[in-house]
Amino acid sequence: MSDIKIGVVSCSGEECFGGTISRLATRKVLEDLRLGEAVTICLPLFIAGGEEERNFAKVYPTVAVDGCSKLCAMRATEKYSGKVNAVVKVDEIIGKEKALEKVVSLRELPSDYMELVDKVAQEICKEMDKISSDILKKQAEEELKNSGECSGGCCCCGCK
Amino acid sequence: MDKKTAILPCNGLDKCAGCVSREIAIKLQEEKNAEIICPVLFRVADARYNKVASENELIVIDGCNTRCATKLASEKNLKVSRKINVTEASKQYGIEIQSKLQIGENEKKLIDMILEDILKKDDSNGENSSILFPKVLDYEIYKKDKFIFRLPKEGFYFNENDVWVYVQGNLARIGVTDYVQQSLSDIMFFTPPIVGSEVEQFDEVGAIESGKAVFEVISPVSGKVIRVNEALLSNPEYINENPFEKGWIAEIELKDFESDKMLLLEFDEYFEKMKRKVDEFHV
Ligand code: SF4
Repeated sequence: MSDIKIGVVSCSGEECFGGTISRLATRKVLEDLRLGEAVTICLPLFIAGGEEERNFAKVYPTVAVDGCSKLCAMRATEKYSGKVNAVVKVDEIIGKEKALEKVVSLRELPSDYMELVDKVAQEICKEMDKISSDILKKQAEEELKNSGECSGGCCCCGCK
Repeated sequence: MDKKTAILPCNGLDKCAGCVSREIAIKLQEEKNAEIICPVLFRVADARYNKVASENELIVIDGCNTRCATKLASEKNLKVSRKINVTEASKQYGIEIQSKLQIGENEKKLIDMILEDILKKDDSNGENSSILFPKVLDYEIYKKDKFIFRLPKEGFYFNENDVWVYVQGNLARIGVTDYVQQSLSDIMFFTPPIVGSEVEQFDEVGAIESGKAVFEVISPVSGKVIRVNEALLSNPEYINENPFEKGWIAEIELKDFESDKMLLLEFDEYFEKMKRKVDEFHV
């Protein structure tokens, strides 16, 4: 486990079932699959909040999770905070039709919801891992550059 | 229940209270045929909801005291007919909610109780008050600059927190005094106490809010809340117009007024205190 914390911002999901799945998948990542590695913020607070909340996407590399093609989480994050590193589009994972069904209470979830949540959660993890490995790679490259050593082999950077 | 209702929940994801807000909204959508306004989409693209939000009775549900949904409603200048704060309600009902995001047994219980309260209020709409409140009140007046402070001369008791009570048999009506409404100036929201809840003397029994501050109504008596002034939900400004008459707050079935009375002030005493407060503080 790396000590890089990654922000996951889920859409609010009052427009469609895809939103419900976004929330559940984000929760699964936060509470289970990437416990301690992922952080989130209430999207309404993000938008309504002050400086501190607005810095979220500047402080954390961020994955937006959106239930439908309106992409509220991505749009709101980019408008108020900063560029997101990745977007997980739930409708592309579970199918447009399913994603656009009406929102449901957590008490009355359809039988196949677990499967859908898992698929989306896996996708979120994949994006998180990609971001972490990119960061680690960049860090390693920078360390090497700073120490003036080269990774070996033949190069033309002037190192010895 | 024919009037269409719109619900604006905060629905925040990083707090369990936000998840509870969302659950309440979804249940209300089914029970009241209400329409949910997605707070994020409302901000990002408000044309989708402008009509729904302004033309219907609007219920706002906040998860916590950050009150994201309330802030959004006031930014959009919406008239709110009912406000629910999940964290406050959990305190009022004595049901603790978890910090994890799951909807567990306690959360379910809280959701059901809040829903029951909302739906019960709908059914009791239009019922007449059983208290025979005087039609005309005789006021003493104290003026300070352009402000006028009235105080009914007879039949009322007051507590130090500027809340009045009018008692009839085992029933009481309560409200705030002119000192409160003048200090707050334009009142924008009224959070009613929960009908059926038991309150002790000096417990909080609802709140009113203006652009300046939130005022917690401190109950002058102990007993059970049996009715709230529903008119204030859509017209909180009645409190500014006359907090003793159409701006009353709630009615309470008294538990032990004789002992409550020992800690209350009668007209003369409160009038003097109020004058002093008015003189000392700038309203
Ligand atoms: S009111 Fe509280 S729970 Fe709701 S979105 Fe805001 S911070 Fe989150």
